Amino acid sequence: MNSVFNNLIIYNGYPISIVAAVIFHIILLVVLVWMQSNNRMDRLELVQPTIVKALFIDENPQVRNQEILERQRLERIEQQRVTREEEQFRQQEDERQRLLEEQREMEEVALREQEELERQRAQEVQRERARQESITMEQQREQAEAERRRQDEEAQLQRQAAEDAALAAEAARTEFELVQSATALIQQALQQVWNRPPSARNGMRVILRIRMLPTGELLEASITQSSGDAAFDRSAENAVYSASPFTELQNLPISVFNENFRTLSLIFEPEDLLN
Amino acid sequence: MNEGLNIFDLVLGASLAVQLVLLILLLLSVVSWVIIAQRWLVLSSAKKGVLSFEQRFWSGMDLSQLYKEGSQVQQENMQIVGMENIFRAGFKEFMRLRQQGTGDGEAIMEGAQRAMRVAYSREEEKLEKHLPFLATVGSVSPYIGLFGTVIGIMNSFLGLATQAQATLQVVAPGISEALFATAIGLFAAIPAVVAYNRYSAVLDDVTSSYITFTDEFSSILHRQIHST
Repeated sequence: MNSVFNNLIIYNGYPISIVAAVIFHIILLVVLVWMQSNNRMDRLELVQPTIVKALFIDENPQVRNQEILERQRLERIEQQRVTREEEQFRQQEDERQRLLEEQREMEEVALREQEELERQRAQEVQRERARQESITMEQQREQAEAERRRQDEEAQLQRQAAEDAALAAEAARTEFELVQSATALIQQALQQVWNRPPSARNGMRVILRIRMLPTGELLEASITQSSGDAAFDRSAENAVYSASPFTELQNLPISVFNENFRTLSLIFEPEDLLN
Repeated sequence: MNEGLNIFDLVLGASLAVQLVLLILLLLSVVSWVIIAQRWLVLSSAKKGVLSFEQRFWSGMDLSQLYKEGSQVQQENMQIVGMENIFRAGFKEFMRLRQQGTGDGEAIMEGAQRAMRVAYSREEEKLEKHLPFLATVGSVSPYIGLFGTVIGIMNSFLGLATQAQATLQVVAPGISEALFATAIGLFAAIPAVVAYNRYSAVLDDVTSSYITFTDEFSSILHRQIHST
């Protein structure tokens, strides 16, 4: 038996065994860490996102309502402008007719007076001129008055419009927030239950129009624009049915609900699929 | 969780029971590997010792000469192991009884055989030391791992109960962490079982060659008694 080997097992080989075992485990740990750090890149690609991306409410109801309001306001202004123009036109017409009449009258008087009195002509003419002058002055005054009245009216209208706008903006802001949060909740609820079929591809798009009750219950859901894939359409429909009732809507004021959520158009469009 | 699960994050995030199980298993693994290494040294040296001593014994050397060489080695503070120990015990007893001058050959034989038997059982004891521990680790650590797994899965399902949405993402880390306990259990058990089986075979081999040697040596002693 050689002496080196005998020395190794002089304490029955315990020290060297302990060192060997500990080193073995440390090497294993290091290898494990190394493999983990190498694997991480591959694994990242395989991790599926937990949320279903890209499912949106077609048109933000708030924006739609604002557009309607804006259109109505524009129409009202247009109407006001039209009526004002008509008014002005009528006034001008009256004025002209009256002038014409006066002129005719003046001509008649002139004729009669020509026939009547030759010698009084110069005086008459003088008087006539004075009268005409006064008439023109009268006319001018009338016009100025009309102008002033019109300006007043316009100013008042503008003031009222500004007040209305401020009030509406205040109301709209809180309403906007409510609508925003409610749409987000609906979207979240749908994302959680939407189960895409294997035939789903990125870029597919189905639009559903849903009608709801104030309690958040679903009245009906209809496909307004199909994706062309029946299974995909059905998956969207199923998602809507299984996500309903949208109890979050119960907390909304009824007016807000009526304006925004009676009907809602939903777009289902995956954009997170791997294929 | 998006950046891929790391085993160490899993372990650090595990519940206390699972962490404890993992720690126990790691310790068992380290200790069993210490024993594997140590037994390997002892058993392989015993095997080599058998071969080298048998070579020397059957080389036709004088037996008292062999005994003296062993004594010299012992004086140099080196251990004498295995077969040589049995030989020395038997030979010493034989010589002593012969010098006492008891004429009874059978009594001398019996004494020498007894001494050899004692030495043999001492050697066997040395060789099979710690082997039962390997057997225990091999059979128990999978159960410990399973225990950790069951606890971990139980915890992850408890966590699931409080979730409104039962998605795979909620349970997956818990189950993965639980299964990690079983993996570590198997990792500790497999080497232990393999080593136990291998070392038992070696042990059988060595002890049977000891027994054979004992018989052969006693037949030689027997011949010596009856030749004189």
